[in-house]
Amino acid sequence: MNGPHDLGGMHGMGPIPIEEDEPVFHSEWEAKVFAMSFATFINYFPVDETRHASERMPPGEYLSSSYYERWLYALELLLAEHNLLTPDEIESRIAELT
Amino acid sequence: MPIKTPNQCMTAQDARALLADGLSCQVESNLPAKFQVGILVKAKVLHPKTYTRLPRYVRGKVGEIFKDYGVYVFPDTMGQRLSTKPQHVYSVRFAAQELWGMDASPKDSVYIDLFDDHLESP
Repeated sequence: MNGPHDLGGMHGMGPIPIEEDEPVFHSEWEAKVFAMSFATFINYFPVDETRHASERMPPGEYLSSSYYERWLYALELLLAEHNLLTPDEIESRIAELT
Repeated sequence: MPIKTPNQCMTAQDARALLADGLSCQVESNLPAKFQVGILVKAKVLHPKTYTRLPRYVRGKVGEIFKDYGVYVFPDTMGQRLSTKPQHVYSVRFAAQELWGMDASPKDSVYIDLFDDHLESP
């Protein structure tokens, strides 16, 4: 799809920040999103389906989201599309935990 | 949706192995390559609404087959769970001036990994 991920040739995006000693994760929630997504790889969703799911994030949201925010969007989208969890179930679990 | 998944959690052991070794999407196959190293190819002009590994800025552009990696599953159909559709993947060299015009450096090139289904004869 001609989505927001296909940035090649776009102007005005600014330089790519290069961090010295970049950590694997910048905060604990990122590690959790990675772990939850990783647990679905292959056995639940082909990796290309996961990549496509993150590209289907609305363009404005995609461009202003961080890497693992996109992963989380893809995971929630596919869990719902394959009837493994409903968005309501996800929301009620969030409410329980907060 | 012909590609079905088992929908079973992987074991911790499987997860460790996958993290350590990764996963190869290469396929054992005698499928002949459609294009040979050194020849010119054109990236097709396609605008699928579904998943594709073909970036917009090379569509319709002519490049040279730099390397043939062998046969791999096709992400564009895997993304829709349609089929594995194994085919050759190539490193295709596009001159910067072909992509960005004569203001680009004549010395620069972009190498993009593209599949048989992305390419045609120019």
